[in-house]
Amino acid sequence: MMSRGIVAALLFVLSGTCAAQAEPHFESDVRGIFKKHCFHCHGEEEHPEGGLDLRLVRWMLTGGDSGAAIIAGQPADSLLYQRLESHEMPPDESKQISPAELAVVKQWIAAGAKTARPEPTTLGDEYLITAEERAHWSFQPIQRPAVPAVQHAEDVANPIDAFLLTKLEQHGHRFSPQATPEKLVRRLTLDLHGLSPETKLVAEFQASGGEADWSKLVDKLLASSHYGERWGRHWLDVAGYADSEGYSDIDAERPHAWRYRDYVIRAFNDNKPFDRFIAEQLAGDELITSPLNDLSPDDVELLSATGFLRMAPDGTGGAVDDVNMARNDTIADTVHIVSSSLMAMTLSCAQCHDHRYDPISHADYFRFRAIFEPALDWQKWKRPNQRLVSLNTEADRKAAAKIEAEAKLIDAAVAEKRAEFIQATFDEQLAKVPAELHELARAAHAAAAAKRTTEQKAIFQKYPHLNVTAGSLYLYNRKAADELKKMGEEAAKVRAAKPKQQYVRALTEVPGQVPTTRLFYRGDYAQPKQELQPAGLTVVRESAGLAEIPAQSSHLPTTGRRLALAEYLTDAKHPLTARAIVNRVWMHHFGVGLVTTPNDFGVLGELPTHPELLDWLAAEFIESGWDMKHLHRLILSSNAWRQQVRNNPALQELDPDNHWYGGARLRRLEAEVIRDSLLAISGELNPQQFGPPVPVMPDTVGRIVVGKENLNAGRPGAVIDMQGEDLRRSIYVQVRRSRPLSLMETFDQPTMSPNCDQRRPSTNATQSLLMLNSEQLIHRSRKIATRLIQERPDDQQQQLELAWRLIYCRPMAAAELADAQAFIQQLVESLASQPAYQPQGDKPAAKSAEEEALAVLCQVLLSSNEFLYVQ
Amino acid sequence: MNSPLDHATGSRRHFLATSAMSVSSLAFAWFQQQEALAAEQAKPAIEPQVFDTAPKVPPSPPKAKAMISLWMQGGPSHHDLFDPKPEMAKYDGQVFPGELKQDNAAQASSKVFASPFKFSPSGQCGMELSELLPHTQQVADDICLIRSMKTGVNNHGQSIRALQSGRISAGRPTLGSWLTYALGSEADNLPAFVALIDPGQLPVLGVENWSNGWLPSIYQGTVVRPSEPRILDLTPPAHLKGKTQSQAIEFLQKLNAQHLEQFSDVSDLQARMASYELAAKMQMAATDALDLSQETAATKKMYGIDQKETADYGSRCLIARRLIERGVRFVQVYTANQLWDSHGSIISRLPLACQKVDKPSAALVADLKQRGLLDSTVVHWGGEMGRLPVVQNDAGRAKAGRDHNTHGFSMWVAGGGFRPGHVHGKTDEWGHKAIEGVVNHFDYHATLLHLLGLDHETMSFRRGDREQTITDGQPAQVIRELLA
Repeated sequence: MMSRGIVAALLFVLSGTCAAQAEPHFESDVRGIFKKHCFHCHGEEEHPEGGLDLRLVRWMLTGGDSGAAIIAGQPADSLLYQRLESHEMPPDESKQISPAELAVVKQWIAAGAKTARPEPTTLGDEYLITAEERAHWSFQPIQRPAVPAVQHAEDVANPIDAFLLTKLEQHGHRFSPQATPEKLVRRLTLDLHGLSPETKLVAEFQASGGEADWSKLVDKLLASSHYGERWGRHWLDVAGYADSEGYSDIDAERPHAWRYRDYVIRAFNDNKPFDRFIAEQLAGDELITSPLNDLSPDDVELLSATGFLRMAPDGTGGAVDDVNMARNDTIADTVHIVSSSLMAMTLSCAQCHDHRYDPISHADYFRFRAIFEPALDWQKWKRPNQRLVSLNTEADRKAAAKIEAEAKLIDAAVAEKRAEFIQATFDEQLAKVPAELHELARAAHAAAAAKRTTEQKAIFQKYPHLNVTAGSLYLYNRKAADELKKMGEEAAKVRAAKPKQQYVRALTEVPGQVPTTRLFYRGDYAQPKQELQPAGLTVVRESAGLAEIPAQSSHLPTTGRRLALAEYLTDAKHPLTARAIVNRVWMHHFGVGLVTTPNDFGVLGELPTHPELLDWLAAEFIESGWDMKHLHRLILSSNAWRQQVRNNPALQELDPDNHWYGGARLRRLEAEVIRDSLLAISGELNPQQFGPPVPVMPDTVGRIVVGKENLNAGRPGAVIDMQGEDLRRSIYVQVRRSRPLSLMETFDQPTMSPNCDQRRPSTNATQSLLMLNSEQLIHRSRKIATRLIQERPDDQQQQLELAWRLIYCRPMAAAELADAQAFIQQLVESLASQPAYQPQGDKPAAKSAEEEALAVLCQVLLSSNEFLYVQ
Repeated sequence: MNSPLDHATGSRRHFLATSAMSVSSLAFAWFQQQEALAAEQAKPAIEPQVFDTAPKVPPSPPKAKAMISLWMQGGPSHHDLFDPKPEMAKYDGQVFPGELKQDNAAQASSKVFASPFKFSPSGQCGMELSELLPHTQQVADDICLIRSMKTGVNNHGQSIRALQSGRISAGRPTLGSWLTYALGSEADNLPAFVALIDPGQLPVLGVENWSNGWLPSIYQGTVVRPSEPRILDLTPPAHLKGKTQSQAIEFLQKLNAQHLEQFSDVSDLQARMASYELAAKMQMAATDALDLSQETAATKKMYGIDQKETADYGSRCLIARRLIERGVRFVQVYTANQLWDSHGSIISRLPLACQKVDKPSAALVADLKQRGLLDSTVVHWGGEMGRLPVVQNDAGRAKAGRDHNTHGFSMWVAGGGFRPGHVHGKTDEWGHKAIEGVVNHFDYHATLLHLLGLDHETMSFRRGDREQTITDGQPAQVIRELLA
């Protein structure tokens, strides 16, 4: 058998020869190279450098100030080639053309500098998109391909399998066998809930185990509210969800962002059609029907959805070096979040110049940005607090006014009573002063302290006890002061009954306030150029023929641009949106996407491994009414998903990346899943949903933990009881960009800057130290041991079996039982040599060595690969 | 860094992927067309790669193998420490004739502030250094002083980012992450990149100073705390200490080995098993590396561990040496938040800051030299900015300070192939702007990498649609004059 290296080299040569045989053309072979290295100065600028424009071959032949740039057939004599070869061009040393690219240019000139078709006479101002660029796979309309026939029809549970199996069969392989029922239940629960399954779930399914029961189990898990907590988290990654503003070191808190998090969880749990979900996030403010100052509950939900467009870091609430830059950065990050999550395009590259690889012009970027500018107007900017929308309704305000009026009555009574007390006290004190001074003293007391005459001041200096004020009254008459205090408290109590002020972090437009969008030369806001109208990508318009986004809606008071964008993106003709979403869903189920670059469907992204399957799924998703749970059911009922983890060295050799899906992929649990599962297994998980985030704080050693910060002179003070809040699921824990929870950070929870397209698991010793020695792991392990003992008292074998079921979700093998018992025995002996586990005189041992040994065993199981990976 | 092999596997993957397809629509026809092109495209593998800290040979023979950065956050005043301007004395208190960017408008003045501290030629090379740095004066012949540093962005955070991660924007990997990504570590029982933080507050930007950015998190700096326990979770709790934990790890690895048998693709599983081994070794090795009681009294004295002022910083410098000796690639030793941010009372406060670090810093250079380690270890001393030539907070001489200045400031480097006893570059007559031999942050990075056998343009990491580098396309140059 040939080694991998030789096979690879051979194929490389073969395909290289293929390319060499075809005649090179400008559009297909050379233009991309020039676009990347040269167009910036020789094409995109108003006045091309040296008068040379390289966008058309005819212009190269005519040349610029130095004469003809190329002579067809003679690369060595072509000025352009000479300059490239000598590395005189491009002038920037860091952006040199590669030898391979240079060879292509040479070959093309030598072959006569051919174009694929006649060139236009001129390009005008319009950005030229070549037929080759338009033909890129992701810009083609989504069509539902026919389901292919396969040799092993018995391996096909649904069309997904047929598409995948076709490729495997072509290479002489088939799917791996189905995973065992208990492994499937664990995989499914971790996939849909992000939690280790309860033991009874495993038992239930094992007992039945049939095809119908599998569907029932999938449905059951999809119906649980944990589903939204798990899949909402995936969406929050691409949305860049955070409870803090980021941008600067201050990283101010965002106290109201959580409504968007809750909205997302509910949307998934309610299986909100995904096109509607997109529309609400992009334009919930344009869908509401009640007035902004008197919102109905449904409209609060719609406004919360626009939190999607308020997730980008926003430093404008605090001090920043350049406030205009900070505003524009927030807009740029918002555009990035929208385009990467919904379009899988790296639009941001076109912020300063035409995209170097994809057919996205500099103007396209600003046309797209124009869609958001009426709400994110960098010149009439609103700081984060100014964008909060109060949730108080008209009724709330009326109630509050009524309560305030009541409280004011009490205030007045207090004031009157206080004056009486002060006067009475003063009179008492006056009696202690010679009578001839009474008149002067009275006048002095009546005068405001700052306005007293020298004489008046003098008498107060001489008789300081005359200075009876609201502040000093308690010193003379404690009873009176207490009475006043009590009345004041009553007023406060009355006021406390007012409806609480609540806010939603939303994006809204001011009707009629529509800024002019301009292209920023080199992305610099200080250099605005031509005015641009809102639009989607030109290449999409040209290939899909979609209606454009109007600058002003005919029926809305606001511009309606974002609402139009939502309709445009979710139009069945839009080639990117459904593919992007389906690909992400696939990625979360299988570990990699059908396109392995979920953020980039452009030229630099990877090609889909199964383009027909991607399109079939996208078409199915659209036709199902963007039904997310339908998509899950399809994928989860495929045989492909239910395979056991690949254990096939031959196939591994042929397909090292497992892109043919000849077996499941072993995947490490994400940070949240580890934390949440630990809580579930120990039985401590607090299932409370929604609401303001559970706070995080640095502990005494500087590690970030769940807890309410209680600083005492800048140092952590007493620990505040979290009353079970600390045991809630990770999605409800505050996401403070500058304070990642240590446990989660150690296990690769991403920082949102601005969002996260894909989690990247690492393997390092810090994780291992945490598993071996951290207080959290030891605490959880002890809790699990306690649970084992409570549920299976006085029976070590049963306790161990339960540990296996809780942590590994499978029965324990006989050999494992023997090993575990031997291990426990060893541990008990080691522990027994420590004083804490020995009886002291008459007193029994402080700790039970047996229970501790059981806890250590649990900790070992939690640290092991079988727990940390899904199979 | 993409090897040619990546290209080959990349094209192979595409070839196989595309040849297996049937043609049924426009999009799919396109794939076939693209087949040859795709094979030609030099694209690295996107799939998860295995990242580790095993030692790697740099592309060029390196002068330096490791680095210790003494990070002086806040902006040490070059006027008072490194860059004498005796002529300024004539104008002391007069109106500054040029334009300045002041950060704190409320306290800004335009009064020239000549340094109240004396400079003297030091060592054989005659390098002029301030009286506030008597110990640094002693190692003048070993250090290379750069008087023409520039980042050009007057804010702490952004200038820190420029120097620590190459760009003023957030989210990028820091120098130590890049070095451990590119070179791995010689130590298999210690973290490759260690951050030695101050007992006071973290420096401005906190954890961002040792962030791996978008590099795999295995390249993140490991924080060693300024007091015991110096590494979190390093020491097992009492009940697990010793035999109990060895038994536990043994049983754990047995379970892991049984689990491993079920799969053909085991690289990550094996890596995790190895990481438990490293964790176990670290418990011993790190405890040993951090144990200063093994040092002689003379060495401890040299670092000032016997004196209150220098005990902390001296201990951390000594730990840095002990880590480098054991093969750690990059260590950064931090001062407290804004220690050097001399906005006021510079005459009384600057000497205190110098007192804390001068002796330990000089001792580190001398100690590495006497152990034959200086040739292969870069020592860096500097912060993110310098100060202005005028008074800030003009409320009497005792309260006077200086505002930020990133257009011209000083720092020094020693060892690892940097030119010893050399003064590089100049600021203008006021010490405001670097005017000769300007070293931008990216030039510094390019030069540093050069000495480590790396090239700032080819040391790259594929991220999304781009190959990312630390200098990120900025016009960085290896500054030859800085090389020995």
